[in-house]
Amino acid sequence: MNRFELLNKIQNILKDNLVICNIGLPSQELYKINDQPNFFYMLGSMGLSSSIGLGLSLSQTKQVISIDGDGSVLMNMNTLATIGNRAPSNYTLLIIDNGSYGSTGDQRTFTDENTSLKDIALGAGCKKVIECSGEETLNELSKAIEDKNNSYVIISKINSGNVKIDPIPLNPITIRDRFRKFIGIVKYL
Amino acid sequence: MKISKKIIDNLKKGGVDFYLSVPCKLLANMIDILENDKDVYYSAVPREEEGMGICAGAYLGNKFPCIMMQNTGIGNSVNAIVSLLQLYQMPVVFLISYRGTPGEPVGAQGGMAKITENILQTLRIPMLHCSSEKDLDRITTFSKHAKVVESPVAILCDFNLMKDDK
Repeated sequence: MNRFELLNKIQNILKDNLVICNIGLPSQELYKINDQPNFFYMLGSMGLSSSIGLGLSLSQTKQVISIDGDGSVLMNMNTLATIGNRAPSNYTLLIIDNGSYGSTGDQRTFTDENTSLKDIALGAGCKKVIECSGEETLNELSKAIEDKNNSYVIISKINSGNVKIDPIPLNPITIRDRFRKFIGIVKYL
Repeated sequence: MKISKKIIDNLKKGGVDFYLSVPCKLLANMIDILENDKDVYYSAVPREEEGMGICAGAYLGNKFPCIMMQNTGIGNSVNAIVSLLQLYQMPVVFLISYRGTPGEPVGAQGGMAKITENILQTLRIPMLHCSSEKDLDRITTFSKHAKVVESPVAILCDFNLMKDDK
């Protein structure tokens, strides 16, 4: 299973929750599969999907899913400590771990060598850390969303590989405002 | 404590209700105040760049965020400021302890002090430079300005303004 197939498989859970989606191919693939106003597509700032989702979950009560990648988490590992100490129960971090920098040409990341994001997340203080296959991810994500008492870090181990895809045509303010309208903040659209 | 209390009071009057910090000894009193304030959210974060991301999420969730840090933190955060906060036009207040300004005992802080305002100018971030207690009266209006122009803004607090705020 690759990322596009995984996103296809979990799309029905995603569309019912607030989603922060990682820059590059993850956002482009999600946009192509089933664009929703409650999907916040990152157009820059690689590494910060986990952090943006954390801030969002601390600020309102709807369920938040941050979709991140192994390369991006490796770039901003300190935020796992913040998540381990501060994440509320409406927060789930889904790390799609394909062992490669998919958007830049599938160069290997360190999770394809010696590094375990599961061990790092546990060491950072995250309590509910699940490592699973792509096939198991839908079930694990459902359980995490249903659990109203805990935040989760789910590491979905899949194969690398991308589909050919176009950049997202939405401008950043459109992404911002339709997302905030979905939450009920923006009234003028 | 008087200076620190006034800064937080004026930020709160400006609507700021979500605070993060990467510590600085000049921010210590403000951190103490916020840790005991039940009306607003406060947390420490390990790194400023990450804090920019958390602030962005807090803004999406209808908070008005502030990140407190040394001026060195701006250097750690340039891409997050440009490619996240400014790209999506998100109001965030940077409350910056301006290390390396006169009174600073640590010489190594001088390097970032020399270029801090140039970086903020290059980023087109509105600045409020506070060197006396009277300057703090402008913080409330300046914070509200961030929301009006949908932009991060920076409040710089000089070393000598903060150092004796016991």
